[in-house]
Amino acid sequence: MGFLTRLAFKNLFRHKLRTFVSIIAIAFSVMIVVFARGYVVGLIDNLTLEHIQYDSGHIKLITHEYRDEQRLLPLNYPVDGLNGGGLAEMIAALEKVEGVAMVVPRLKFGAMVSTGDELVTMGGWGVDPELETAFTGIEDYLVEGRMPQPGRLEVLMGTALLAKINRRVGEKVTIVFNTAFNSLRGVTFNIVGRTKSGIKLLDEVVFYLPLDQAQRLLEMDGQVTELLLATPDRKLVSQVLPRVQALLAEYGADGRYLALGYKETSDLIFFMDIAKVIYNQIYIFLVLLACIVVINTMLMIVKERTREIGMMSALGLESKDIMRLFLTEGAIMGVTGSLIGAVCGSLLNGYFAKNGIDFSAATSGFSAEIVFNSMVYPLSSPGNTVFAFFLGVVIVTIACVIPARRAARFEPTEAMRA
Amino acid sequence: MALLEMRGLTKIYDQGKIEVPALRGIDLTVEKGEFTTIFGPSGSGKTTLLNLIGCLDRPTAGTIIFDGQELGGLDKKDLAIIRRHHVGFVFQSYNLIPVLTAYENVEFAIRLVNKYEKKEIRDRVMRILAAVGLAGLENRKPNELSGGQKQRVAIARALVKEPKLVLADEPSANLDSKTSEEVLQVMAKMNRELGTTFIFSTHDPLVMEYARRLIEIRDGQVAKDQRRE
Repeated sequence: MGFLTRLAFKNLFRHKLRTFVSIIAIAFSVMIVVFARGYVVGLIDNLTLEHIQYDSGHIKLITHEYRDEQRLLPLNYPVDGLNGGGLAEMIAALEKVEGVAMVVPRLKFGAMVSTGDELVTMGGWGVDPELETAFTGIEDYLVEGRMPQPGRLEVLMGTALLAKINRRVGEKVTIVFNTAFNSLRGVTFNIVGRTKSGIKLLDEVVFYLPLDQAQRLLEMDGQVTELLLATPDRKLVSQVLPRVQALLAEYGADGRYLALGYKETSDLIFFMDIAKVIYNQIYIFLVLLACIVVINTMLMIVKERTREIGMMSALGLESKDIMRLFLTEGAIMGVTGSLIGAVCGSLLNGYFAKNGIDFSAATSGFSAEIVFNSMVYPLSSPGNTVFAFFLGVVIVTIACVIPARRAARFEPTEAMRA
Repeated sequence: MALLEMRGLTKIYDQGKIEVPALRGIDLTVEKGEFTTIFGPSGSGKTTLLNLIGCLDRPTAGTIIFDGQELGGLDKKDLAIIRRHHVGFVFQSYNLIPVLTAYENVEFAIRLVNKYEKKEIRDRVMRILAAVGLAGLENRKPNELSGGQKQRVAIARALVKEPKLVLADEPSANLDSKTSEEVLQVMAKMNRELGTTFIFSTHDPLVMEYARRLIEIRDGQVAKDQRRE
């Protein structure tokens, strides 16, 4: 009934300050929901993306033994082909699997550099620079120099690692490491690039070198420690993974190799998925808190307008219409507050999505094994804004059922005597 | 022709362990088009009787037949529908909706009936406002009207849907005698012109002067029932 809606709207102007306070309470909570959800989803998405890029790929292919000892970066459990066909043939076979967009080889090994006073331990990643850039966008973190090129003894290092070993881009560094045959070797490289990513692992621990050089120096021609498979979308992993496993089985290599989805290689991702669900419940409680203000306001309104409710009932307004009138008043406050909150939260998210939130001080104590970028960029998405808006409207309207039912239950004679 | 027939009408209020009888077996018949006043001392049962007649409350015992329909078996919703279509109320304290204009307050009652087109609603509201002497004041809110004007709006609201019965509970209690007289003249005019039945509950001698039938209630019973020409 349009007339009741108009009346509900006009009723909100009876006590402008009270209505304003209620709307602000809703707006504030919805704004927090938009921001918190954007922040949490952004954090989890960033964390997942970085885990995929720098640890697991969408699907990680390693040997069973390597999985058990990968923290020690062993070189004696390599990925070197399917049934003696060689690595290149294995990569070619994997690239043909439907849903596999890219196969990224990595050869990871432990190394150290002497600064004169101390030995700095680090991790070497032999990579195909072109594939690595295409997969991780590592070039975006380059602040000086360039990527190492195949065929050359060149390395790329993080800013903090360079500071630790007291070197600069353009200088040389002698890196000591064990080969696959366990013989100690020292090789001098040119430092051709410097990165700054905010990811502790990349900034302080890892140096990149061309894959062909790593294979040659480690005496691991045609071998890598892992193959990372990329799919066009991480949602496709559940479909692609069985195909990869089927391929391994087809070659009789499933006893040797393991194909793992990105969620299987990190407990953190699993817990983050649970956290997302928990946070969604927390948002509901957050809006419910604001609803206490609205319920209080509405109960005051019902008390003040008891005689008026009696009069309307005497004129023939049914209980359901009285309930609808008060629910409409609550819904108007809910829509207005949620809209303001959603817009403000969205603007706030937009700002931080662009500029990021720097947690480097808070995360300085984190282990480098946790691939975590200390600059967190909240997710600014229309879906998030719409979610928070509807959450606000629905919960506030539902909360208004309490005072509205109270109003609708009055007997007209009792109400008019109030 | 009878609009209302009440037989053995009894109302007892249950106040915890005490039962308070408000009406004790009232028998009354009200004809269509009557202009009746119910009077009596405070606590005599006037308002209770009006509430029962107006379908706002249910009797403890006895029957009310409203325009041929027995009210006893009707539920809350059915009673609301009867009130919406057939009963108009005028209250002592006007009970206008403060955020609505005079026009909208009157419109509210006719909107509930939900059987008129938009244009007809407007015509009826404007006509009734003019009839009660409020032409030109339709856009004023209650706080911009005098007591008498507010009561005229309340009368217009009660009459706009052309109800069979208008119940007025102490309609002159908050008005000075001149304004009371003006308001009563309006109601008497409506009674004559539209044939609407009016029942008042009052202490006001002026209201009694206008009435063509006086019913005195004492201790929940009809003490006197007097008709005047």
